[in-house]
Amino acid sequence: MFIARSEYDRGINTFSPEGRLFQVEYSLEAIKLGSTAIGLTTADGVILGVEKRITSTLLETSSVEKVVEIDRHIGCAMSGLQADARSMIEHARVTSQSHAFNYSEPIKVESCTQAICDLALRFGESASGEEEESIMSRPFGVALLIAGHDENGPSLYHAEPSGTFYRYDAKAIGSGSEGAQAELQASYHKSLTIPEAEEMVLKTLKQVMEEKLDANNVQLASVTKDKGFRVYSDEEMKTCVSRIEGE
Amino acid sequence: MASISSFAMPSEAPTYSFAAAQSASGQPRQHGFYPYTDNGGSTLGISGDSFTILAGDTRSTSGYNINTRYAPKLFKLGGSGPNHEGSKIVLSVVGFAADGNALQERLDTIVKMYKYQHGKDISVHACAQRLSHILYNKRFFPYYVHAILGGIDEEGKGALYSYDPVGSYEREQCRAAGAAASLIMPFLDNQVNLKNQYDPNSGPGLEKVQRVPKPLDRTTVEEIVRDAFTSAVERHIEVGDGLQMMIITKDGIEEVYTPLKQD
Amino acid sequence: MNHFPEAWGRPRDDIYGSYNPQFLPNSHAQQSGHPTTHTQSPIVTGTSVIAVKYKDGVVIAADNLASYGSLARFTDVHRLKPFNKKAVVGFGGDVSDMQYLDRLLNSLDVKENYSHGHDDAESDKALMSAKNLHTYLSKVMYKRRSDFNPLWNALLVCGLSEDGTPFLASVDLLGTTFSAPTLATGFGAHLAQPILRRVVPDEAASKALDKEAAVAAVKECMKVLFYRDARSMNEYSIAVVDKSGVDLKQKEKLEGQSWAFAEQIKGYGTQTV
Repeated sequence: MFIARSEYDRGINTFSPEGRLFQVEYSLEAIKLGSTAIGLTTADGVILGVEKRITSTLLETSSVEKVVEIDRHIGCAMSGLQADARSMIEHARVTSQSHAFNYSEPIKVESCTQAICDLALRFGESASGEEEESIMSRPFGVALLIAGHDENGPSLYHAEPSGTFYRYDAKAIGSGSEGAQAELQASYHKSLTIPEAEEMVLKTLKQVMEEKLDANNVQLASVTKDKGFRVYSDEEMKTCVSRIEGE
Repeated sequence: MASISSFAMPSEAPTYSFAAAQSASGQPRQHGFYPYTDNGGSTLGISGDSFTILAGDTRSTSGYNINTRYAPKLFKLGGSGPNHEGSKIVLSVVGFAADGNALQERLDTIVKMYKYQHGKDISVHACAQRLSHILYNKRFFPYYVHAILGGIDEEGKGALYSYDPVGSYEREQCRAAGAAASLIMPFLDNQVNLKNQYDPNSGPGLEKVQRVPKPLDRTTVEEIVRDAFTSAVERHIEVGDGLQMMIITKDGIEEVYTPLKQD
Repeated sequence: MNHFPEAWGRPRDDIYGSYNPQFLPNSHAQQSGHPTTHTQSPIVTGTSVIAVKYKDGVVIAADNLASYGSLARFTDVHRLKPFNKKAVVGFGGDVSDMQYLDRLLNSLDVKENYSHGHDDAESDKALMSAKNLHTYLSKVMYKRRSDFNPLWNALLVCGLSEDGTPFLASVDLLGTTFSAPTLATGFGAHLAQPILRRVVPDEAASKALDKEAAVAAVKECMKVLFYRDARSMNEYSIAVVDKSGVDLKQKEKLEGQSWAFAEQIKGYGTQTV
């Protein structure tokens, strides 16, 4: 990918002669450095799992927030530059709330994802005084797994800094994504139950994580029809992790 | 709001708070422009178990003048093409016609944009909330209209929402609006909600029980609408010329036009 | 609408009660207690415009007078403005606002001609129709009323719509629009409209009406208006718009007047008996 590199990776909105936007491609690389995050769709809901990199024993693990709520029925896991994710999530939250305010109905998961991706492309070098000044000078360095439950049932979306998004049954992002995605590919099936999905997420994370997986360095969350988005409590994490430790 | 349009001849010309001629030099001149008028007419909506009927007369007035005998007050929202093919929501507006048209155009584009953005038809419920916000956002220079929105809700039942000019709204069984609202609404209270109707066999005197309203069938509702308008035409000069009815069912919108008296 | 353009758009005291400036915020109140304004009222005005749809097109007429109050100030003012050989706009109300709109329409026409240039039958199809023009003008008028800076006019727009059917519609200073087989603004709404509606009661009658009958009806109405409207004159413009284009005559004189009825009128002027 980097062979053709030249001046064309300076201007962020400049195509290379081969038709590539290098800065956008680099931003995809930034995600590959991020911690692994996995999403799994079942008939009853979506499970999100993220790896928390505990870089120090003195780190308060509960302060590592990599899976957050967007609306009652939508949640999101991230991998890459966390700070960038903040503004994307803020945008998604505002969009969701304003949709609920204007239409008194929950926003569709796809519409919410679209709103995030619209924001993702608003980077560039617009001259001052231009009608719509871009708010970012560079592409976002973070990818999101957006899980939700709407009138079409549970769904999982993957949103990239390039502004594209796809819907997945199961998706892994971040440093361990290649191995994790292969694992998901092999073991995913449509008739998973929620507990089975929890176990599959944890087992997959366990395989690709450098540290040894325990109840503190991973975090699960789920979106279901009844309970909406929910981050698992420490208690729940312990029971989930203990379920896979026996094997 | 019979407005400016005037029946009065020069000698008895109506008076205005703001002088029409220039005031003495140096003095600031009054802003003598009133941005509203009333174009008369009436609208009516009744919802049933599996349908909603909206109706409105087609007369447009300015004071004692008839502007035209055919100015529709009912508008299909969304759908495709100039005839709103496939639309399932109807908006009726009565009051100041220019505001009514502006409001209708805005809501129509919003309904169409909603479909592009979310890949599904907007529900009446969502459309109702949006309309309320449009009206409320212009609270300090309101759209001078009484709007009624009709459609089929997510359970397949008839849905009807009525609004005041600044966006307060409510879902109702039936509602009359416009010039003859005060004539039609009591009739609806009695015939649709069975107000003041007691079961004669339910007891003596004050112990009689009021009849319980239940959703009406389509032919009955159409008859009630026609009766309401033929009666309103007799008693209100701003109502007449034609009756436009839109019947919304799960299969779409049927439009019926019948003449009313032109006097 | 009455024949006092200066009264158009004003709230009437007998309906709304007189205006109470107490409700205005202090920043808006002058010493006099009146609000600051940037308003106008019509100064030089034109009276009625009348029009009828017939089977192949539309006939429209307006006299050539521009009044300054009760003074017949300008006697050769043309209030029918043709637009791109397909439509005619008739203006009632303020003459300077009419001239502004005329300039606006001219520049619009120039822009339109740039975008599809050739002067042949094929590109004529792409020209703005009377219906398009009416929509455009209604947005201009509604925008200006919403800015509290109205164009003090009542307009009739006539011509053909895209499918070739006759088109006639009205817009006023409030942005109110409507369409009918016969239309009249100002005093014409009182005097001409009843006569025209007798000839053309509905769309069906309009589809049966021929050009000669339509022109005759309009000319008759111009005469009645001259008899009874003190702000009118006997020279007028009349236009016929059909698929062959606009036929505009700007120096028509009223014919066959009969003032016999005037002798019956007593109680004015110097008459004593």
